[in-house]
Amino acid sequence: MSIPPENKKYELTFWEKIYIPELVKGLKLTLEQLLEKKFTRQYPEERWVPPPSFRGRPVLALEENGVERCVACGLCSRVCPALAIEVQAAETELEKERYPDLFEINMLRCIFCGFCEEVCPEEAIIMSDEYELAFSSREEAIFGKDKLLMPVDKLRPRLNYLHSQY
Amino acid sequence: MLDNTLTTREEIRDLGLRTEEMVLNMGPQHPSTHGVLRLELVLEGEIIRKVIPHIGYLHRCFEKHAENESYTQVIPYTDRLDYLASINNNHGYALGIERLMGIEVPERVEFIRVIMAELQRIASHLVAIGTYGMDIGAFTPFLYCFRDREHILDVFEKTCGARLLYNYIWIGGVSHDVYPDFVKDVADIVKILRPTIKELNDLLNYNKIFIDRTANIGILPADVAINFGCTGPMLRGSGVDFDLRRDDPYSIYDRFEWEVQVGKGEMGTVGDCWDRHMVRVWEMEESCKIIEQALESFPEGDVQSAIPRRVRPPKGEIYVRVENPRGELGYYIISDGTGTPFRVKGRAPGFSNLSVINEISKGYMVADVVAILGSIDIVLGEIDR
Repeated sequence: MSIPPENKKYELTFWEKIYIPELVKGLKLTLEQLLEKKFTRQYPEERWVPPPSFRGRPVLALEENGVERCVACGLCSRVCPALAIEVQAAETELEKERYPDLFEINMLRCIFCGFCEEVCPEEAIIMSDEYELAFSSREEAIFGKDKLLMPVDKLRPRLNYLHSQY
Repeated sequence: MLDNTLTTREEIRDLGLRTEEMVLNMGPQHPSTHGVLRLELVLEGEIIRKVIPHIGYLHRCFEKHAENESYTQVIPYTDRLDYLASINNNHGYALGIERLMGIEVPERVEFIRVIMAELQRIASHLVAIGTYGMDIGAFTPFLYCFRDREHILDVFEKTCGARLLYNYIWIGGVSHDVYPDFVKDVADIVKILRPTIKELNDLLNYNKIFIDRTANIGILPADVAINFGCTGPMLRGSGVDFDLRRDDPYSIYDRFEWEVQVGKGEMGTVGDCWDRHMVRVWEMEESCKIIEQALESFPEGDVQSAIPRRVRPPKGEIYVRVENPRGELGYYIISDGTGTPFRVKGRAPGFSNLSVINEISKGYMVADVVAILGSIDIVLGEIDR
């Protein structure tokens, strides 16, 4: 058993005893902070704009002609470490031949690792800049195609960033 | 009349008082247990006779999960071990697979990894120092620490797109190349950090109240520390000069000039809470030195050229260890030649460091448990895995 030795006694000097210089020292530090630039952000009013490198919620790119880019190859669902993505393919008359009949991302499982975006051969699944994800029920958190599709124009900054990287 | 720390049951009985041992549960929701840890305190009055840590509240089956994922898919899971030092966790795991596969990593990648790992170490120590101050009762340093950690997180965010769980260091490379202003930004951070460390010293570390609460408390002798497998600031606080970055150099740590900081018992005895705390403060300065040197010779190049198309290491096993902010982080990886690891065992520094708490808190007061636990700097994510 370890028994601590007696603490060294600390004698206060005269100036420390009257406290006033110490008080002034402390107040000086506080007052200096008043003049400095504010560090905090008034969040709901003052929005935070993420940089293009930010990995927000994954979305599906929607081309201008109203067709999604996804060809339902299923790579994203295979690479997902958290098994959050479900894809069911169906055939189409269009050039790409296959499209996702069902595309669901379970946002309760998603860990925002970005592997799905990395692996996608069509640049169809992209990490957007949306970061406000609050749900009031579990059903709400399963995002189908209705919530996932996003016009490709909105994703331009992220796409440009990705092109500069790879 | 009675010196509390020296009171034994016999002495109290001699005074004609009846005593009983009492069991007090601290946690799992206690704010000073840094997560979900339950400590079973066996008390005699206010004196601690025994501390039994109960862990497992944050168990997420990392090791079993790893057996069902491919080698690359394990990386996001390693992020979540020690969530305050994700990049160091990634680094250790990636290093292990690279050694198994015999991958040579480009120069630029090594530099990025070292800079990022050291930034992460500073960020992690800032949290440790800030929350330790808050445990003891100093609230302001906590805010200052988080303010400065923010600069580091901003750099991480611009580089790899996340603020906490980065998934940055991949097998054979890093996920994204650094952005053009990276070198300037990191140099600025180092410039900001130096005055912060001085400010912390003035505000907290050499504060009389803080010293009274931490010096001569929770003394961990060097031999006990070694016997219990303590590593990191915990071991160095006890005066043992051991740091994996210098003694078992991985990556490119052998190229830089820096010192291993050890506890000297400046305010009390070697190995007390104050020493452990100060080792972290001094280490931030050393990390700054490493970053500065790395920035000076930051090479150009491709960061993804060595990333293998498919990760399928040959049959074999490897134990790789890296210096986490909390100590030696080890991965024991067994490969059976397929795309998924046969076994990934994590050696969490926090686990060994926590196991010594019973040894070092006997005989102190209840309030000292908070000080001792804070100085161990545990992260339950890696202890429970």
